[in-house]
Amino acid sequence: MSDYVAGGVPERLVPRTTAARGVPQVVAVVPRRRQPSIALWGMTMFLVSEGMLLASMIASYYYLRFVNHAWPQPGDPRPKVVVPLILVGVLATTSLPMQLAAFAARAGRLTATRLLLLWALVVQSGYLAYEVHDYVGQLHADPVQHDTYTSIYFTLLGADHGHVALGLLFDVWLLGKLARGLTMYRLNALQAIVYYWHAINLLTLVITGVLLSATF
Amino acid sequence: MTTDHKRIGLLYFWTTLVLFAAGGAEALIMRTQLIQPNNHVVGPATYDELFTMHGITMIFFFIIPMTTGAFGNYLLPLMLGARDMAFPRMNALSYWIFLGSGLFVYTSLFLGMAPNAGWFDYVPLASATYDPSPAIDFYCLGIIFNGISSSLTAANFIVTCFKLRAPGMSFNRMPLFCFAMLAASFGLLFALPSLSVDAIFLFLDRAVGTHFFDVAKGGSVLLWQHLFWFFGHPEVYILIVPAFGIATEIIPAFTQRRIVAFPLVAIAEILVVFIGFGVWAHHMFAVGMPTVTVAFFAAATTIVVIPSTIQVFAWTMTMFVGRPRFRTPLLFICGFVFMFVAGGLTGIMFLAVPVDQQLTDTYFVIAHFHYIIFGAAVFPIFGGMYYWFPKVTGKLYYELPGQISFWIIFVGTNVLFFPMHIVGLIGMPRRNYTYPGGLGWGPYNLVESIGAYITAFGIVVLLVNLVVSYFRGLPAGPDPWHGATLEWTTSSPPPEYNYPVIPKVSSAYPNWDYEDRAEDRRKLAGAVMVLDQGHEQPVSSSIDGWWTEVIEMPHDSPWPLALAVSIALVFVFLVVHKWVVAGFAASGLAIALLGWHAREPQEHE
Repeated sequence: MSDYVAGGVPERLVPRTTAARGVPQVVAVVPRRRQPSIALWGMTMFLVSEGMLLASMIASYYYLRFVNHAWPQPGDPRPKVVVPLILVGVLATTSLPMQLAAFAARAGRLTATRLLLLWALVVQSGYLAYEVHDYVGQLHADPVQHDTYTSIYFTLLGADHGHVALGLLFDVWLLGKLARGLTMYRLNALQAIVYYWHAINLLTLVITGVLLSATF
Repeated sequence: MTTDHKRIGLLYFWTTLVLFAAGGAEALIMRTQLIQPNNHVVGPATYDELFTMHGITMIFFFIIPMTTGAFGNYLLPLMLGARDMAFPRMNALSYWIFLGSGLFVYTSLFLGMAPNAGWFDYVPLASATYDPSPAIDFYCLGIIFNGISSSLTAANFIVTCFKLRAPGMSFNRMPLFCFAMLAASFGLLFALPSLSVDAIFLFLDRAVGTHFFDVAKGGSVLLWQHLFWFFGHPEVYILIVPAFGIATEIIPAFTQRRIVAFPLVAIAEILVVFIGFGVWAHHMFAVGMPTVTVAFFAAATTIVVIPSTIQVFAWTMTMFVGRPRFRTPLLFICGFVFMFVAGGLTGIMFLAVPVDQQLTDTYFVIAHFHYIIFGAAVFPIFGGMYYWFPKVTGKLYYELPGQISFWIIFVGTNVLFFPMHIVGLIGMPRRNYTYPGGLGWGPYNLVESIGAYITAFGIVVLLVNLVVSYFRGLPAGPDPWHGATLEWTTSSPPPEYNYPVIPKVSSAYPNWDYEDRAEDRRKLAGAVMVLDQGHEQPVSSSIDGWWTEVIEMPHDSPWPLALAVSIALVFVFLVVHKWVVAGFAASGLAIALLGWHAREPQEHE
């Protein structure tokens, strides 16, 4: 092999990251990778796109609010405040086990990674189960077809729940993958999914704030 | 199923060419209908479908997929010195979704349910009250479907530009074509969600009974326009900036001179898209917005002139100070500069709000945007088809028929679109299927229709020339133009993984850096930096372009096609309002994703 130097590192020493299989190889390669993986870049692009989607809905919410004199519109109940705030707080705490899972995987502690992911999955599932139950209840009380307020309210909330549900699918898939050990591919996936959850938790906070703003 | 970016680029090319023919045929039928007053080649309902499908096809199914999908896919990794896109399987998925969305939308035409409310699909015209047929549902779902493909492509291009550059290709050495693709990709990624949300709202209004655009229930019809044009104006730059990129590659090759003001052109390509996000409401001057809003958007729009002018200056000055060889690709670029300046000047006229309000919905608007869209986007596409033809096929095209095709298209286009300025100024409204005699519009329309036939003939000459050249052309060799960028350093057509040796880059014109290229040849001879069977891909640092890791590329896979089929099924069941079945189809999507990820890239060894 040559001594071709790429950014101060001889070409032959540039890590073959995706070739790393098993905990020892992954742990050895991780510190030598000096920049985020392209998986993380890909997830960033996905989140930008989804963020813009939700941002367009939020902008629409305020546009519709400002063309209406009363908001919520007459006949619509004001959104509940306390329970959604507690729930979104609980969801936000799952960023901690998710991030710890990523740290544990980088350090090669596979069992801890799985347990932390499982912990996050249980809390996130509980959050979504309650929210879906509540969503259905609200729909029965004040249907989406009632007026513009209910249209944007349920659409925005539904879009947020959809993203949480997608995150749960990611979690389940990842746990299935990690059950068969650690590879660089799986570590990349874990880091990308952790990143996804941070973003979704933040977006859920923002969307909850937007929807609760109708009470003021 | 292939994941090779070049094959996917060619798939895009052929598919968009077919759709271009469809959009062109729609235009020719419209021009035939308008060739004389009180004509009845088609009725009003068919005419509505024709102009709607023409707009949708040319924008969503021809220009974007041709510039990004075909040119971008084929050339971006080659120019960056990469072996493929950052996400090759996602790249394949983009194509299959694009194909599916094209079939989806065109199926509506054959079912007699084609979208018919214009490519902008304004409400309340597009609401269920006024258009209860599934035509608008096809529009909404087709746009969302197609948008998934464009978003995936954009994400792939951005990551590829940032992470897969050859060693030494720092950001300031990236070719201007790549800057243009990067700018357009950012534009797509940020703008498309707004259109998707708009389409989701309209679909929900029509299918579920929500009230986003129902004024009686607190909705707003202007919400549609705001969301649409927040996408729609950046879209104009998304269409033409890749064409700018094509121009900035052709001009140096045919003047044998570095482009004037390279850094400014790179910045201008990014800026023109960025500024494009702040001017959307200039499409809405006639809807009755507050004066301060109108004034703001008129002023903001003037700023777009600055980056556009920088680029025009750079192109013309490079030709002026270089030694131009007016071969067919450069002729098309000259035609493009002429058309872009002409279209830009009429664009400036719209900044005068009273003029805009007077000319809204007249043929003057059609003339303006066709000078921009056809002149500034399609001319460079034709130029690029000639320029990279030797690289893609390994054959030289015939020069004389090429130049003849340019002149026919150039003359035809101006005969077609220039009189529209006049007929618009004297009051002819757009989107009307016919017009009465005695208003002075007839002669202009006759000339325009003749121009349409001339343009179509020129395009046929172009295509026939390329087809004949493919079968009978002389061998081109790797670098017939002495081009500046990396793609000219590899064979024509390039091998599967592009470069047997990863090239080193020391400037923005790597093919003119003879020492680097000699070093490539030495490495190849000494088997240095020949990565494992061509399946390895170096990943570079995002700014400096130095290697940070080497990853294994995914192999060919059937799963992108399976996933695209699943997505298509979901949309098919949504358009017929079979919600439960659509849900089942969505589970097929999950299965395809599981299959996709079941085998990791390193497990193929």
